[in-house]
Amino acid sequence: MNKLLRDSIMKNLCYFACIITISICAGIILYVFIKGYSQITPKFLFSEPTPTFSEKNAGGISTPIIGTILLTLIGTAIAFPWGLASALYLTNYAPKGKVMNMFNLAIEVLAGVPTIVIAIFGLAIFTNPMFGFLSSKVEGVEGISKAFGRSFLVAGITMGIMILPYIIKTCIEAIKSVPPSYMEASYALGAGKRQGIMKVLIPASKNGIITAIILGMGRIIGDTAIVWLTLGGTLRMTGIQPWFMPENYLSTLTNTGSTLTSYIFYTSPAGEGNMPSVSFGASLVLIIIIILLNLVTDYVGSIGKLKGVDE
Amino acid sequence: MAKLEATKSIENGSHQRKNTVKDFVFKYLLLSLALLGAMMIVFIFIFILSKSWSVLRASGLGFITDGGFSKQISTSYNLSPAEQTFKFGALGLLTATILSTVGALILAIPVGIASAIIICEFSHRAFGTFLQSVIRLLACIPSIIYGLIGLMVVVPFIKETFIFPQLQIQYLSDPVLRMQLSGKSLLAGIIVLAIMIMPTITALSADAIRAVPKNYKEAGLAMGLSHWRVVSRIIIPAARSGIFAGIILAAGRGTGEAIALSMVAGGISNVPQLSHGGVFFLTPVLTLASAIVNKSEAMSVPAIQSALFSCGVILLLTSVIFSLSTKLVEHTVRSSK
Repeated sequence: MNKLLRDSIMKNLCYFACIITISICAGIILYVFIKGYSQITPKFLFSEPTPTFSEKNAGGISTPIIGTILLTLIGTAIAFPWGLASALYLTNYAPKGKVMNMFNLAIEVLAGVPTIVIAIFGLAIFTNPMFGFLSSKVEGVEGISKAFGRSFLVAGITMGIMILPYIIKTCIEAIKSVPPSYMEASYALGAGKRQGIMKVLIPASKNGIITAIILGMGRIIGDTAIVWLTLGGTLRMTGIQPWFMPENYLSTLTNTGSTLTSYIFYTSPAGEGNMPSVSFGASLVLIIIIILLNLVTDYVGSIGKLKGVDE
Repeated sequence: MAKLEATKSIENGSHQRKNTVKDFVFKYLLLSLALLGAMMIVFIFIFILSKSWSVLRASGLGFITDGGFSKQISTSYNLSPAEQTFKFGALGLLTATILSTVGALILAIPVGIASAIIICEFSHRAFGTFLQSVIRLLACIPSIIYGLIGLMVVVPFIKETFIFPQLQIQYLSDPVLRMQLSGKSLLAGIIVLAIMIMPTITALSADAIRAVPKNYKEAGLAMGLSHWRVVSRIIIPAARSGIFAGIILAAGRGTGEAIALSMVAGGISNVPQLSHGGVFFLTPVLTLASAIVNKSEAMSVPAIQSALFSCGVILLLTSVIFSLSTKLVEHTVRSSK
């Protein structure tokens, strides 16, 4: 009887813990919705932020949204081909055994490196005068020229390095889930390895590869440490104005700006702005973007499952 | 006729040669990209070590045994380049990182695993799937949002419940450790970190529990064990390696978390003293990762830059140890099977 009582107490404690988890989850999402809902107006979404201390004149979040999109595009454009190529090499060409294990270990370790470390790594590399063309050049105190090391291009490349291991891992899983008979059939038709990979393997693992891209995008959108260190903490686009004109694109890309995450940090009480209501508005937009990305991932996954049924 | 065949075979040959060249280029392009990706971790080590070398050499072991990081940063900021000593001590950062991560794990592990058990075993199937997708979503929410909520909810809550004006005055006039108790504290850091890493632990534990073969459970039920007994004596032990991997991943996320902790934990390097009693948890702290964010504006001074990169070295080593131990867990499980 005593044992039964203990079991039921433990079980009820588990239920209690689960209720805590659910209420925290619901609490966080609801809190941001309630606090941010009144902020979301077309004016807030489509006007530029202004550096001010009064919440009425704070402007909107158009440039942070554009900054997030720019960084996501640059980061994915770098990490996706790189990650897919690495995954293809590891699944199709790499000799099994020691070499494969070394590669896997390196990727595993890279995936565990905190983003703040990757951020200072990006800063260490791109402040090198050699990479001055990616940001702007600064004349140092003793006449040594240094690169500024903070720009959309620099942050985008650093983001690409950050998501690379995730893209490689997800792509490897996607490629491994393609039945070996597909490649065998393509060999039987006289295709070489390269043709088989390009024409059979990549199309067959398309859904998994898309999932990898979306997962990587989610990580870029949510990251703050890399943005804060390698994009500079500025609120507005600092390139030649107006930044959105096509002829100024290079100046916009090689200068600093903000993303949704750095905007939230800047306007929160921890930053210089101290306008919490505005930062809750931006948080709500960020959460909505993340929820949409999650839904797309689920949708892509479900397509794959439906197709898998009729095999 | 013969001539035609001859030209055909020549064409075929050139076509084939072109194809082999293409295959060769393709293979080595993939190889070089894969190598570059795998070498990235080596590059990270080289660059961060080389940038941190001047501080690590000057401070030696003192970097992890001496305290007073915040003060050293502010004095170093005001010194001229000739007067820089390159001596820093990050003991406060190290203890704060360990305390916040361990504290968060102590809070998050039981709750996370218990939630995973309920989601997988004791709830309606559709409801469990729904819960799991909500927890997945929560694991994807950026840390800045946890930081913002921590700053707007947790910090004021701590200030109102635990910190009284008398206590504040006592610590402001403390001759040894003068500090302001504002609610931004180790406790706030632990709570925010626990909420952040709990979804990771829950999601990975749920995956591990789902991966336990069905016949284990059926065998247990056939032996006449109750459902709870089957879960606690058979399923959890069988899933322990997956749960352990989730905990290591969560610990890695906790030590590397920069933004959320820099917002809620106070930002002053300080070794909390056990002799203060409960105030131990209410003192402001600075972790290794959040130090890099907090002090990044002073990075133009070479000594400070080098000190921050030294913090990066410690973080990097910790993350490598975590990754290797995950591999080790996987390896022991595989060899035991």
